[in-house]
Amino acid sequence: MSDSPGIDRRAFVKSAVAIGGAAALSACLDRGPSIDVPRGPEEPAATFPERQHAWNAALPTTDAGNNHHPRHRVLLALDYGDGTPTAAERETVEAALAGVERAYERSAAGLLLTISYSPYYFERFDDDLPESVDLPEPAALSSFEDPDADAVDAIVHLASDHGEVVMGAEEALKGELGELNGVSQPDAALTDVFSLDERRTGFVGDGLPAENQDVDGVPDDGPVPEDAPMYMGFESALDGNQPPEDRVTIQQGPFAGGTTQQLSMLTLNLTQWYEQDTRDQRVSKMFCPHHAQNDLVEDAGENLGTDPQMDDCGDPIETARREGVVGHSQKMVEVREDDTPIILRRDFDSTDRDHAGLHFLSLQRTITDFVTTREAMNGEQIDSDSAVGQRTNNGILQYINTVRRGNFLLPPRSLRALPPANPRATVAENAEVANA
Amino acid sequence: MRKRSRRAFLAGVGATGVGGLTGCLGFELESSSLEPSLVENRPDAVYLPTHTEGMAMGEMGSDGGYSCALTYSYPHRFWTVTGSDTAQVEVESDDALHLMPVVWHSETGIVPSDVSPRVDVTQDGESIVDGLNPWPMLAQQMGYHFGDNIELPEAGEYTVTVSVGAGGDRRTGPLADTGAAEFEFTLDYQPSELRDLPFEDIAEARQGTHGAAEPMQMKMVPMMQAPTADDLPGTVRGTTESGDAQFVVTTLDDATRFGGDEGQQYLAVSPRTPYNRFPLPQMSLSATLSRDGETRLDGYLNEWLDPDLGIHYGAVVDSVAAGDDLTIAVDSPPQISRHEGYETAFLSMPETTLTL
Repeated sequence: MSDSPGIDRRAFVKSAVAIGGAAALSACLDRGPSIDVPRGPEEPAATFPERQHAWNAALPTTDAGNNHHPRHRVLLALDYGDGTPTAAERETVEAALAGVERAYERSAAGLLLTISYSPYYFERFDDDLPESVDLPEPAALSSFEDPDADAVDAIVHLASDHGEVVMGAEEALKGELGELNGVSQPDAALTDVFSLDERRTGFVGDGLPAENQDVDGVPDDGPVPEDAPMYMGFESALDGNQPPEDRVTIQQGPFAGGTTQQLSMLTLNLTQWYEQDTRDQRVSKMFCPHHAQNDLVEDAGENLGTDPQMDDCGDPIETARREGVVGHSQKMVEVREDDTPIILRRDFDSTDRDHAGLHFLSLQRTITDFVTTREAMNGEQIDSDSAVGQRTNNGILQYINTVRRGNFLLPPRSLRALPPANPRATVAENAEVANA
Repeated sequence: MRKRSRRAFLAGVGATGVGGLTGCLGFELESSSLEPSLVENRPDAVYLPTHTEGMAMGEMGSDGGYSCALTYSYPHRFWTVTGSDTAQVEVESDDALHLMPVVWHSETGIVPSDVSPRVDVTQDGESIVDGLNPWPMLAQQMGYHFGDNIELPEAGEYTVTVSVGAGGDRRTGPLADTGAAEFEFTLDYQPSELRDLPFEDIAEARQGTHGAAEPMQMKMVPMMQAPTADDLPGTVRGTTESGDAQFVVTTLDDATRFGGDEGQQYLAVSPRTPYNRFPLPQMSLSATLSRDGETRLDGYLNEWLDPDLGIHYGAVVDSVAAGDDLTIAVDSPPQISRHEGYETAFLSMPETTLTL
């Protein structure tokens, strides 16, 4: 990595996250000034919430009143291999995760992390997952997509406002660092148990998409607005578009307190979006035609505060019939319960594969909730009953392409280290063995 | 470096087109658009554009009940449509060609209007264009097709994959049995060959007058015109117009294949362009049918694909009789991108009434 003085530190850090590895981290730290992130507690287990996904309380609120989303992300896609986990392996995984939690405070400025497991991981156990967990293998969710299945066993999601933190945590989890943020790290690494199948990276938040727009899928003249939080130029996860964490949390059974995580890799084709559509067309397609006609969205939509004002958009079929176009957000209104969506978005943009993309990561109580939401986005009935096409003028379907889908169980913290498929059955079995 | 040479090539194309000065590489054009200026005072109707363009035919293939021909021309302007608004798309300096995967249902020759084909382009395994969904388009020489201007880094061979997903459920006969398909083509992109494609000016006096360039008959590719009124099945009840489009109305005595009963009738409306008779998909149409002041139908005319009627719009009705009044309302005009000569037509489309 060249240490050219022409690259400013911020630009350097974000490209370092995408490149990764100990050398990138070290180059990053060498460029100082070093960041000052408070350390985590001595015993994270004693103070951290049982819900791994309970991030909201740890996230600051933006000026517009929305949750701030950690700006830098790494997803470690892990393979376990054959066989079933041993007690020693579970201890190793827990020790490695707790090691980085001791190093950085649990916050957006520090480190937020989750670990989740795929249906392919759970297949190795004699028991099935309990009925309280809805975790099918991933499948194509529209007639016009043909995604690969994300067949890895586990996904570690690292999030922080500081690129150095996600990179540092990653290196420590791989056993590459004896000390992290001045905190000694255990002699336990995720890579003692898993093999790293792929590292996936990304970012979200004002300015980062524009800084990262020199990739395929974005026109060369740099059309992404300078302050936009996402490649497509608009705020997306307004609080009014997000359910409370309770709504996405599994309520019953041994995995109560957990959630399911759906992870899709979408590639974006923004040449049409930025070069061939007008701003009014973009607002119509992202929000709804009403918002375009009434100039309700300024810049990326900060003026909307927390409320995307979807009630004003009208019935999607009526809009599609009369306007020939239907908004992406508008189509989602029908799947709301108690006026909130049923999936919690924690997605972020990416330059993986050198192409503008989106790791669409959402949390929901059941994968069925995600499927319901995605079906609303497909707008098949709208397409069938109006001038709107299968993709054309059908929200943002024209510009995105799903290349991979994966479903994961994000267990409660106490079961996060290589959980069995049915912890209660396993406990009962062990009790029987103990009593024999 | 690559970009510079491509720009030079494109300038050459423009020069060839405008003045017939073949081989004027490096000729500087002030606009990124290499085409002649648009006709002034374009009518709100189909009109003769400034020029016609030739087209190159690449490979052809069949899969899953569909056929696809990979055709292309040099990049050119077009208009996207949302509602009644058009947005002019200019040629960008890096655009290499206008790619048109022509997809049709092999048995019936119908271009499916309920799918959005996807295009991926690779070279030596490296992704060049990833997940492009070309626009549904209407052109005077080609009719309804899919297309977009794309960038390619240099002359040479590319692999182009065209994927078609499953269509909707308003299809009849063999169209209903056709699912997904995928085609893989080798595209030999040679700027010099593109440069040799015809580019013919239309006489200035004719530019902007009502009319259309002749459809281009491609070898092996069916001409996707709507049936003439005489060729439509059923009892043809007449023709009406709106926004320069013609609407031919026919009724069938058996509505079973459109979700009705044997005893019901099927009211079909076949909208098409004037002159070239190209079907007009992706509209929202609704209709009222009344007899002696009594309303017999008041609802959507839904878009269907049928081997005999082609792309059309229809509704099941209990009965249709001579003398019934049919009012067709265009709730949304065709949401398909337009090539020059169509961008001012089929936008403002008032409702139209016909006595059957």
